[in-house]
Amino acid sequence: MLEVREVTKAFGGFLALNRVSLSVERGRFHALVGPNGAGKTTLFNVIVGRYRPDGGEVRLKGRRIHHLPTPRIVRMGVGVSFQRAQAFLSMTARENVMLALLGLRGGVYRGRPLSRFRREAERAEELLGWVGLEKVADRVAAELPLGDLKRLDIAMSLAGDPELLLLDEPLAGLSRAERRQMMDFIERLLRRLKLTLLFTEHDTDAVLRLADRITVLHQGEVLAEGEPEAIKNDPRVVEAFLGGSHA
Amino acid sequence: MRALLFALVLLLFLPLFLSRYAVEVLTQGFILALFASAFNLVFFQLGLLSFGHAAFFGAGAYTAALLVTKAGWPYLGTLPAAVLVAALLALVIGFFSVRTSRIYFTMLTLAFAQLLWAVVHKWYAFTGGDNGIPGIPVGALAGSAKGLYYLALLLLLLGLAFLYALDRSPLGYALRAVRDNEARAEAVGLSPFALRLLGFVLSGALAGAAGFLQVAWQRSAFPDFLYWTKSAEAIIAAILGGSAHLLGPSLGALAFVELGAFVQARTEYWPLVLGLVLLFLVLFFPRGLVGLFGGRDARG
Ligand SMILES: Nc1ncnc2c1ncn2[C@@H]1O[C@H](COP(=O)(O)OP(=O)(O)O)[C@@H](O)[C@H]1O
Ligand SMILES: [Mg+2]
Repeated sequence: MLEVREVTKAFGGFLALNRVSLSVERGRFHALVGPNGAGKTTLFNVIVGRYRPDGGEVRLKGRRIHHLPTPRIVRMGVGVSFQRAQAFLSMTARENVMLALLGLRGGVYRGRPLSRFRREAERAEELLGWVGLEKVADRVAAELPLGDLKRLDIAMSLAGDPELLLLDEPLAGLSRAERRQMMDFIERLLRRLKLTLLFTEHDTDAVLRLADRITVLHQGEVLAEGEPEAIKNDPRVVEAFLGGSHA
Repeated sequence: MRALLFALVLLLFLPLFLSRYAVEVLTQGFILALFASAFNLVFFQLGLLSFGHAAFFGAGAYTAALLVTKAGWPYLGTLPAAVLVAALLALVIGFFSVRTSRIYFTMLTLAFAQLLWAVVHKWYAFTGGDNGIPGIPVGALAGSAKGLYYLALLLLLLGLAFLYALDRSPLGYALRAVRDNEARAEAVGLSPFALRLLGFVLSGALAGAAGFLQVAWQRSAFPDFLYWTKSAEAIIAAILGGSAHLLGPSLGALAFVELGAFVQARTEYWPLVLGLVLLFLVLFFPRGLVGLFGGRDARG
């Protein structure tokens, strides 16, 4: 599904990614882990075309995508959800999702009022139901608490019926209770939708529970890759994590 | 809604009761209202402060003026050309400006407009230089005070109707999405550059229509139309009236022009009065004059 080959990305003289390779197979739940500053978000940004890699290539379903702009890449079936929850704060939750639906299908250049897009409204309702936001559908996003914004962000990332979903720290910033809820929700949702998932997360329990493949990134390089059991017991990984800023 | 209808009916019948001078002042108010509403499309929907909208106002005006005086077009027939030329100019200026952000956008738009002003101001052979183009025949309709009043009102209403439709359409939402959160917008398939440029061009086109009207109002075209103070008038009107509301800039423009006429007839301290009024409004009614009516902001 997704093939990252020898990707290098430097900021000034600093190598944020050094010949990183990784392959996400269709239907897999693939975790990208590593201490803060390892380059996880940078790799996500390269994959979705926000950063151009200095070397290497990224292929999606066999097609090279690392020279394409973000809007093109997401329309090829990639759902993106951000580390810091992002939404269009001046709009209601429903409008956020409707706009995502239209945007991902290239359908915003139309004159009819947004409120009259019936099919999109129904689909938005359904997506908001999936993430448990149906009750706040008509609240302006600026008024929503962080937990709801993260759900909204995910609903928007699902709007284009993606085949590949990228979630950058979906649990970050949530309370313990909210984390549990969010985990359950993501797991249920993804199993049902049969998506391919690439995600990053600091919460080790969450990673071990969701992932069926793990890539460990450390200081911009791939330290290890494998099944969760093998990774958990890999001495290099243990050392890097204990030596890093995060356990 | 009922209040709006009442206001509309009032505006339709007002010229029958007012002096010629009062009608002309109101007409100038409509023209500035159209210009400020055009500016506000970029200011509010795109979240970008253009300090160069006079360029589009002036482009519309000079297109009309030159086509009438040099090519013998009937004044009314120049409207589509005025709008088109302003839109094309916005396409060029926008192409370079909308990819920069915030303060650079403001400075670039200002620089482009001042550059154009300098050309118009000096190019005696073509634009008449600082003498402008005086004595333009604009025909019977636009040449009468009442006729021009209704023409300006009509174009203003058409402009507002367009902005209203845009505001509620997916395109309007997409423009605000780019303003709210560019990264998120890209991640749902929206192209910030294309959307900003489109919004800027539409805004420039409307400003061009306002410039077209100004030619009839003055029977002339002057380099002043492109000067930065003209851009500032749009900014002041939008902020005075309230940029978050569709009618805010129009209200601000009417207040600006009416107050200006009133004060200037009595003292020479108009800039001082304007400064005080602005200070008062910004401090106590940050949402502008529309805030006085207790109207909730319709949008974001
Ligand atoms: N736009 C940028 N400019 C400069 N340095 C950056 C930029 N983005 C990330 N970095 C640096 O790259 C490294 C990796 O960051 P990041 O990918 O965010 O790590 P992670 O998501 O794994 O915590 C960090 O040292 C960070 O400071
Ligand atoms: Mg990160």
